[in-house]
Parts: sequence; structure tokens; C-alpha cells
Amino acid sequence: MPVTVELHGVRYAYGAEPVLDGADLELSAGDFVVLAGHNGSGKTTLLKLCLGLLRPQAGTIRVLGSSPEDPATRRQIGYAPQGLRVVTSIPVSVGEVVTAGLTPIRSMWRGVPDEPARISSALAAVGMQDLARECLFELSGGQQQRAILARALVADPPLLLLDEPTTGIDQSLRPRLAAELRARADAGATVLAVSHDPDDFHAVLDRILVVADGHIRQLTHEQFHAHFDVS
Amino acid sequence: MSVFTAAFAVRAYIAVAAVGLTAPVVGSFLVQRRLALIGDGIGHLAFAGVAIGVALSVAPVWGALVTAVVGAIALERLRTTGRIAGDLALAMVFYGGLATGVVLLSATNRFDASAIGFLFGSPFSASWSDVVTVVVLCAVVAATLVPYYRQLLAVALDEETARAAGLPVDGLNLLTVTLTALLVAAGMRVVGLLLIASLLVIPVAAGSRLAHSFRDTVLWGVTVGVLSSLGGLLFALGQGNIQPSGTIVLASIAAFAIAVFAGRRAARRHPRQAAR
Repeated sequence: MPVTVELHGVRYAYGAEPVLDGADLELSAGDFVVLAGHNGSGKTTLLKLCLGLLRPQAGTIRVLGSSPEDPATRRQIGYAPQGLRVVTSIPVSVGEVVTAGLTPIRSMWRGVPDEPARISSALAAVGMQDLARECLFELSGGQQQRAILARALVADPPLLLLDEPTTGIDQSLRPRLAAELRARADAGATVLAVSHDPDDFHAVLDRILVVADGHIRQLTHEQFHAHFDVS
Repeated sequence: MSVFTAAFAVRAYIAVAAVGLTAPVVGSFLVQRRLALIGDGIGHLAFAGVAIGVALSVAPVWGALVTAVVGAIALERLRTTGRIAGDLALAMVFYGGLATGVVLLSATNRFDASAIGFLFGSPFSASWSDVVTVVVLCAVVAATLVPYYRQLLAVALDEETARAAGLPVDGLNLLTVTLTALLVAAGMRVVGLLLIASLLVIPVAAGSRLAHSFRDTVLWGVTVGVLSSLGGLLFALGQGNIQPSGTIVLASIAAFAIAVFAGRRAARRHPRQAAR
């Protein structure tokens, strides 16, 4: 399987204190990995480095074979941030939020082929097929988070970077979302989900990675709960 | 001939309708990004441009246009680089632009009724040439918005995610403020530099009370913008001695009040909306 995410000797510090210091990571197509760890350990920082939103102070990062700062690379990444980042001045429909996920791959004058079908499929994947016309701000926090997930999924990207994707989502729905992400990985996508609780994905993930002391380590479920359980 | 069908009235109808139609579309992106006051800042800056145009014997609208565009881009750069707080940057532009205009017009002995016309608008005195300028500027703004609508919406929804998705966020932000500057220059004749920002914001605020989506907010905003512009103009025409820019803005505020009332009634009928 081709390598999709490569970090070598990456360092990133806020002030004098590094959150990542010589971090290495290699993910391949088809990998479903959860990045766990304590609050402030550097999980989201690592995700933002992979997205090109932050620049490493040392080391190299390659995503899908090129720099994450390359707009062409970024257009192939499905990103779901933690929580709602939508400014709430004007009502926005769920369908509009999901459609925004297609904007990077859409030409200026022509829509994406099968655009309505893609949007319906992404909404169905998160169990919101009947809510496309609803105003996002009238929905629960969990439903808003699922709409954000659908936005990340709608373009069928080869790399999914998800920051706490199950935040606020009802426990009963989490296995369904985990299975959906597993299906994406089985189809060849790389899924990297930041989560403080990897149990949400226990049945379907390939590896648990932990950011600790500036490095990235691989753990089993048992090791994670023995040493890093934050629940 | 009725005053309502006189040539000066027809020219005014066309000019206010063009601005009332276009302003809420641009304003939707500003309001969504909590930049509602930027139109005000650019309007104040454009007054300095009017004065520069007068001092250089150039048509005031071109002086206003160039100054508004350059100022808007500078303002956006200051805002995004964080070199100056957003509200402080706007305040500097508010006062600096107005003061520069007053000083330059006074120095050239042109601080007269025509200067007041630029500040508060004078649609009834617009020539056909003025109307063509307004319509062309509005058409340029609308024609630019159509292909960029999706990208501008993605940025307005979530700037960080749009940046992560490879969209040219900085360029799109500059485009937004540049279109705002064009609209301010276009609206100078209609409602004046001090009140043009109201047409960017108030119809959108009214639309947001009636809609469930961004697109519907824009459509409601355009409807309110056109109706309040024409309604305010007709009221001023009927009264004969009232400044139309004031009645246009007051009409849009009345439309906002009606939209708030209608929105609350709808929320009572459909309780889910009340959570908004």
C-alpha cells in the first residue's frame, strides 16, 4: 500500500515547550488509526501540521506524496474539526455545510458530477439523510458534529483527518460511524482520527498511536488503558 | 406629468434598485463573518477619496472608488496580519477618512451642499451618466459574485476548514472587501457614504430572521433591499421635502422589525426554530 502520511523528526513548540520533538509517523492507504493522548499532548497540533495549517519548526512532513502546504494536496484531504466553527450570524442549512466539502474539487462554472447523489450519500453515512434542509443551528451538538463529518466525507477523499469526530454524538450512533470510517479505509482511504477515547473505534481500528513526551508511540488497547486512560 | 414618472424619478428608481439588489448579496458574506461594520469604514474612507477627486479635478466617484478599493485592501491586510485590532483599525479609518475629506474639501473651498450630497446621497439629482456608473459597478459586483459564490460561502462558513481544503482564503477575503468597496462607490449617489453600509447589513439581518439557509437569507435580503430602497424613495417623492436616503434606511429598519415579528410567529408554529 502506498504511504500517504510521513513525518520524520518533526518538532513543534508553543513558546519554549515542545509538544512534538523528533516525532516520526508513517501511515499507508487503508490504515485506520486513532491518535490518542492527554489533553494538550499535541494531538490536534499534529493534525494541523498534516493539514499544512502549522509549519514544523524542524523535520519534514509529506502528505499524499507532497507538501501539505500545496493546495492541490489539501484538496484531497477530508478534514473534520472538533466542534462547530461556523459563525452563527446567518442561518446555514445542513445541505449547504455538506456542499462546502465539494467546493475545493469543484470547477468555478460546473458542479461536481453526481453532486446531489454525493451529498445524499454523505448525509446517509452519518444518519442525517432527512435533515439536509434543516438549519444547522437548530440541531443538537451531536447532529452538528455529524454534519461536519459528512462535509469531510462528501468528496470521497483519499485521506481523512478527523479531530474528535465523535464529540457530542450519541453513544448508540458511534458504532455506525466507526463502521463507516472502516469501510472508507477498506476502500483505500487513510483515516487518522484524533480521539481522547479510542474505545469508540475499538472494533474497527488498526492501530492506536499516542503522543507523549513529544514522540508518537504505538500501543495496544490494553497498554493504552494501563498507561494513558483519560476517560 | 406626475412626479413619480418624471425622468429624475426614473433615474433614481434604477439607481436605488441596482444598489438595493446587489448590496445584500455582498453584505451576506460580511455579516456571516462578523464584518458588518467594514462597509461603514470603507464609506468614511471613500469620503477622503471624493475630496481627493475634487482636489485633482477628477470625477468624485472615481476618487471614491480608487480610495475605497485601496483602503479596503489595506484594512483587510491589517486585520489578517493582526498588526492592529479589527475594531481599532476600523475606528482609525472612520475618523481619519472623514477628517481627511473635510480638510481637503475645505482647503479647496468645496465644502458645500455637494459634499453633503456625497455623505447622505442625492438620487434625485443623478444624471444618466451617474445611473450608468451605478448600474455598471453593481453589475460588475454581481458578475464577480456568481462564479465565486460557493468558494466565498465555504470561507464564510469556516475559514480554517476552507484553508485546510486548499481554498485561496486570503485572496477570497480580499475579493470580498474589494467588492464591498465597489458597492460603496456605487451607493454613494443613492444613500450616501455614511448610510450605504446600512443596505449591506439591515436587509441581510431581516432575511436571516425569515430563512433557514444562507441562500434563502440572500434571497430574502435582496427582496428586502429592493423593496425598502424603492419604498423609501417613493415615500420621499410623495412627501417632496424629505431626504430619500433617510427614508430608504428607515424602510429597511421597518422591514427588519416586520421580519423579527414574522420570524417569531413562525418559531411559535414550528418550535424547533425557536432554538436558533
